[in-house]
Amino acid sequence: MKSALKYLLFFRNVVFLKWLSQIVFLAGFISIVLRYLGNASTNFASTNIAFSWDFLGETPGVSIAEGMYTLPVSGLQMLQVGMLNMLRITVTGIFAATILGTLLGIARLSKNYIVEKSATGILEIVRNVPLLVQILFFQALILTLPRLEVSEIGTYTFHASAKGLAFPWPNREPNAVLFMVYFVLVLYIANQIFKWRVRTLEKEGRETYPTLWAVVSFIVLVVIGWYGGFRVVGIIGLIAGFLSTGLESVPGIFYQILFSVITVFIGFRVTKRFIDSKKSEEAQGIYSDDDYFKIIFNVVIVVLLVFLFLTSFGASVSKFLVGDELTYKADWGLPQLFHGIENKLYWFPMHDVEIEKENVEMKKAEIINWVVEPGSKVEVGDKIADAYIIRKPNEEKIEYEIVAKYAGTIETLYLEEGKSLKVGEEFYEIQVTEGDPFTLSRPRIEQTGTTKFKRYSDDYGKKLSVGYFATWVGVVLYTAIFISEVVRAGIMAVAKGQSEAGLSLGFRRSALLRLIVIPQAIRVMLPPMGNQYLNLAKNTSLGIAVAFPEIVAVGQTLYNQEGQTLPVFIVWMIFYSTVSLTISSIINFYNRKLKIVER
Amino acid sequence: MSIIKTNDVKKWFGDFQALKGISMEVQEGEVLVICGPSGSGKSTFIRCINRLEQHQEGEIIVDGIELTNDLKNIEAIRSEVGMVFQSFNLFPHLTVMQNITLAPIWVRKKSRSESEEKAMELLTRVGIPEQASKFPGQLSGGQQQRVAIARALAMEPKIMLFDEPTSALDPEMIKEVLDAMKELALSGMTMIVVTHEMGFAKEVADRVMLFDEGLMVEENTPTEFFDNPQNDRTKLFLSQIL
Amino acid sequence: MDLEYKKSIAWIRENLFSSIPSSILTVATSFFVLGFFRGLFGFAMASDKDWLSVLNNMQLYMVQAYPEEDFIRVWISVGLALVFAGMSIGLWKSTEESSLSDVFSKFLKVSLAFLFFTVVAPTFSSVTDNDGIIQTEESFPMETRLQLLIPSAIFVVVFFVLKNVKLNYKFNKSDLLCFYLAIPIVLLWIIKLPTIQLDSSNQRIIPDPLMPIADTTKIPWTIIFGLFLAFYFIGSRFKDSKNMKRTMSISWVLLPLFIFSWIFKKPEIDLPTILGQDIPIFIGIFLIGALTITFINNPIVEKYFSIYLGVLIAITGIALFISIPILLKSALLLLVLFTIVIPAVSSSAKGKRNLIIVWGVSLFTLSVLIRGGSSDTQIIVQQQSIFGGFSLTWLLAIFGTYVSFPLGVLLALGRNSKLPIVRLVCTGIIELTRSVPYITWLFFASVTMAVFLPEGVNFELVVRVLMVTAFFSGAYFAENIRGGLQSIPKGQYEAADAIGMSPFQKTSLIVMPQALRAIIPTLVSSAITAFKDSSLVTIIGLIDFLTIGKVIIGTQSIPVNFVGHDRENLLFIAFFYWIFTFTLSRRSMKVEKRLGLGER
Ligand SMILES: Nc1ncnc2c1ncn2[C@@H]1O[C@H](COP(=O)(O)OP(=O)(O)O)[C@@H](O)[C@H]1O
Ligand SMILES: [Mg+2]
Repeated sequence: MKSALKYLLFFRNVVFLKWLSQIVFLAGFISIVLRYLGNASTNFASTNIAFSWDFLGETPGVSIAEGMYTLPVSGLQMLQVGMLNMLRITVTGIFAATILGTLLGIARLSKNYIVEKSATGILEIVRNVPLLVQILFFQALILTLPRLEVSEIGTYTFHASAKGLAFPWPNREPNAVLFMVYFVLVLYIANQIFKWRVRTLEKEGRETYPTLWAVVSFIVLVVIGWYGGFRVVGIIGLIAGFLSTGLESVPGIFYQILFSVITVFIGFRVTKRFIDSKKSEEAQGIYSDDDYFKIIFNVVIVVLLVFLFLTSFGASVSKFLVGDELTYKADWGLPQLFHGIENKLYWFPMHDVEIEKENVEMKKAEIINWVVEPGSKVEVGDKIADAYIIRKPNEEKIEYEIVAKYAGTIETLYLEEGKSLKVGEEFYEIQVTEGDPFTLSRPRIEQTGTTKFKRYSDDYGKKLSVGYFATWVGVVLYTAIFISEVVRAGIMAVAKGQSEAGLSLGFRRSALLRLIVIPQAIRVMLPPMGNQYLNLAKNTSLGIAVAFPEIVAVGQTLYNQEGQTLPVFIVWMIFYSTVSLTISSIINFYNRKLKIVER
Repeated sequence: MSIIKTNDVKKWFGDFQALKGISMEVQEGEVLVICGPSGSGKSTFIRCINRLEQHQEGEIIVDGIELTNDLKNIEAIRSEVGMVFQSFNLFPHLTVMQNITLAPIWVRKKSRSESEEKAMELLTRVGIPEQASKFPGQLSGGQQQRVAIARALAMEPKIMLFDEPTSALDPEMIKEVLDAMKELALSGMTMIVVTHEMGFAKEVADRVMLFDEGLMVEENTPTEFFDNPQNDRTKLFLSQIL
Repeated sequence: MDLEYKKSIAWIRENLFSSIPSSILTVATSFFVLGFFRGLFGFAMASDKDWLSVLNNMQLYMVQAYPEEDFIRVWISVGLALVFAGMSIGLWKSTEESSLSDVFSKFLKVSLAFLFFTVVAPTFSSVTDNDGIIQTEESFPMETRLQLLIPSAIFVVVFFVLKNVKLNYKFNKSDLLCFYLAIPIVLLWIIKLPTIQLDSSNQRIIPDPLMPIADTTKIPWTIIFGLFLAFYFIGSRFKDSKNMKRTMSISWVLLPLFIFSWIFKKPEIDLPTILGQDIPIFIGIFLIGALTITFINNPIVEKYFSIYLGVLIAITGIALFISIPILLKSALLLLVLFTIVIPAVSSSAKGKRNLIIVWGVSLFTLSVLIRGGSSDTQIIVQQQSIFGGFSLTWLLAIFGTYVSFPLGVLLALGRNSKLPIVRLVCTGIIELTRSVPYITWLFFASVTMAVFLPEGVNFELVVRVLMVTAFFSGAYFAENIRGGLQSIPKGQYEAADAIGMSPFQKTSLIVMPQALRAIIPTLVSSAITAFKDSSLVTIIGLIDFLTIGKVIIGTQSIPVNFVGHDRENLLFIAFFYWIFTFTLSRRSMKVEKRLGLGER
């Protein structure tokens, strides 16, 4: 009787009401979403622009002002250029903004009146003016610099003009990647040496000079590496080569099934562990409604993911993973990545050499005769072949000598005599045996094409375009201001009581800052700092206003070509989410690391 | 007749069992003191009585209404049971007067003037009528706790629950709160008090219970409880606290 | 005097030259600061800068293409805002006083700044000629400098002496504020600057003739200032009236809505619709509400009240999705909100009467606003919208905040909810919205959104931008508010539960008031961010304040050629934004201090 009444009054039951209201909520939400998706599909049907991702594989036929490839062969490659440009600003910007912001924050705490007031002045100016206005202003500022003149053609150490800034830069040579891997390794070793000396210090209680040891060993190893020692890490390239071949040779459906199985396995493990925790002696297998929800939710998610992996979404993902170049024509995907490492990290890396670009716009080159054959050794500057350069306007042929850029052994000649190739295509392969990983190159002003267009050469030194410069300076300054507030608040939060405690223990001021204030302040500062980094990453999108081709600008160009606005929007969303997630995971990682220290 | 009756109440937090079967009864007008070591489930138990925590097994019957998932029952019981917390939990953005009249106006749907009259009466009863227009932050701990008592009384509850009402207070303020509670007990209110104030228990309580590890290990009259404890754990507890 | 001197020496030693590094820093920083100001002054004074491109285009900046014959509407809008400001300053009149020497020290600061300018400004500045060649020219001759130096030095001395003479006059701070505001009004009449005039062949007459700064606007400004003063005095008469203050606060919230829907817009009023649709809806809904209020204490009504409320909510929920007049939808929403609070307030006869009046007034206000907002405008401009220039910037900032704030509250509550599905959905919405930059949402509004709208439905670009802005800043507000929610101790929820409050009451009476109070500073800075971010619409081609300066003036060649003068305009734009955001943030800091929020 009593329990019957319980069930009769189910509509007054709080658990029932809780779930009923949620189901109603979910139904309402889904119906709204479906309604708009329905609108979208009718609209697509009526305008004849079907939603499609095909543009990723098609050649967009537009050029990009700066970046890795200026004439992308596919939509995906074009987006890739935009993403790399965005990341370039973001990564360098984060470092610069952190340093500048910290300095400003400290300046704001300075006892020196004029330093403090100037820092506050900068803060109040920058913080209260829209970032876009500032970026436009920096653009206008650099555009007032003189234009490039014919008389200026030549090589410089530093040059500024209305075309941007140019300065010397270590250019990557064939061995560069290998060397960088080596460098990271050396850093790790130096760190280990430091730790080992510290451990000895703690154990034996005598001075062991950990910093000195670490620095000296670091310098010694780097010097050894520079003179060829870095080749010891070439083994990684071999492994990468095997992986790349292996990944490519497996069919896509294998990956789809693999992902599904992994998903089911993880879902099962998580749910099982949850159920087991409920079965313990104490808990006696009592489930609340929320527990049931958790289990059901896990199952739903697993089913959804498996469904996704087994349909066209999973097919695209695996195509991407096996690096289906036919579909995307971009150098993405795991095999491409490994392949890249292999090429560069092989014991004696190979390198593709292009026709040396003269300051003439040429269209094609035609080999007259090869001077070398596979197996012959060459030095830098040795003649490799006689060739014709075919110039653009009227197919005029000029005789030309192709010389070796690197010393090494010729591996393959791709082109028969008498045949021609477009500029940029590979026509011989060389195993580079010597040469520094990096060479310093200075910027060069050149004049190209028939229009006598004056510009900084892409291949020499480093140039910052006006758009890059304006966006970078604007974003860095703007973020630095907010970081300075974070730094100031962080230091103030710990400074008071803690430094008194520290001073009373007899610490000197510098030791106090290093050992007590800064470690604690960093802990306070990290989360808001992370927010500022996220803002910085998003603010780089304002580059579009000064014609800097980052992901948003590139995406806009792309959908103006192809009319696919929705896919481009989705790409934006995925890309920015990934960047944001990466930044916040890094911040969280350090946060957690510091928390462990705290305990 | 008993106004609160619990039968084998069990409660888990995740896979930790906080209450391992509590059965007890409280008569109308009775003052029951619960004591026991920290973490023994005292708070959890009295919070189950007004559904701040949800028990998973057993039954709790308050004033003839069983505490189930039924919304109406929960509402009915909550409006009959007042509660005073260890950390006062006054609403810092409202004045003392607003704190007290909030529930009568919004839950009991009384008029403002009537509720304010009643609130003044209660404030006088707990001895701080002059503080009505101040904010909680401006009061001392003892005064805040007395406001909290007045706030609970404003709902005209039949039962009052106290969860260590004096343990967040400075010694000189404890007395003023205990006095207010004594006065309340003398007026015939049914009360369940979790406290370690043994003087209060001796003087006011009708019965004393000891909780340990989620179980009620002893239940007795105050004199028996203090002078002639039956259980070893009670003896141990008393030796530590007195 | 000797003591004073010693004191200042000590101050300088302690604050500027306390150690060798500090002294080096002092010198280096001073060097940079001076360089900055010299650059700035040199830039402003160089002869290739045409500041008339800013001055002459002020009208364009403010209202863009708004027709001149309707300018009275613009002036009424500005006037109303200032009248409200006067009234509020009067109502919340400061009790603090400043002495005469405080006033003089302000003047001293101004004259010191002027002296600084005359001393520091560079004699030569660089000028780019038409061929892009950079040359230097003398832009600030020594004679001019000397001529300016003498009066400014005299001012400095005079005010310094006046400041140090202990005069015992005290002024109320609010009165002083009015006095300071009078200064620019007087200056409008006195100061004369060049104005562009064209001869018969449409050539610019150089040198440009001098005219008062604001030749066409000085009379309206003066009248408005008069009204401002009048209302300031009226306000100070009522400064003890709580009701007046409450009315004023609500009026501030409603003012922009009225300005944008009725005054600026000149709605096309169609009498039959009003008679046949608005008035019946108003009367019908009003009666339902009034009857509910009247009979709420009737035992039968009380018994079935929750069913009644449920039915009402259900009807409203359905009504939102079917095509009925928007007035009916919003009136139903308001009715639901009112019905929820009715049972709490209406036990006495007087309370009931008051509630009916409040109900009537708010329903009426809503009807009027919706009628104005949903009607077509009679003001015809060539552009997509009658809002352009600064009026568009304001529209975006204010409406963005209006819509996004409630949305933010809802999303934050959802994300903080105990209901897992609700929490998941709200978290998803917030994170997805925040994951991409604002500019991509603007592109979404300008090119993608049309895809999702039903066939035949098409909003103006401004409206679409407002929609995405509401969502975007709503998500940011939600995160701020969630921070506030998390700062509320668990005990507060428990205490509310223990006295038997419903979840709705708990949220609206206990949780939200505390959460919002805790985050006022963050909310203000979010609002400021929204104001600054509104400049991004220039990228998708809306004509806001920035677009006018950057795009329109920079390409203007008829009748006066301003091509290439975008740097002056950018500097002006920066300054204009700066004034607004700086004042706003300073104000909010003061309010914050008064609420004692800083201490927590
Ligand atoms: N919300 C909770 N989640 C998990 N464990 C809890 C929670 N509340 C209380 N507990 C645990 O339940 C046990 C009993 O707690 P409590 O009733 O507060 O003890 P007492 O009030 O007697 O000190 C303690 O071990 C405590 O850790
Ligand atoms: Mg407890």
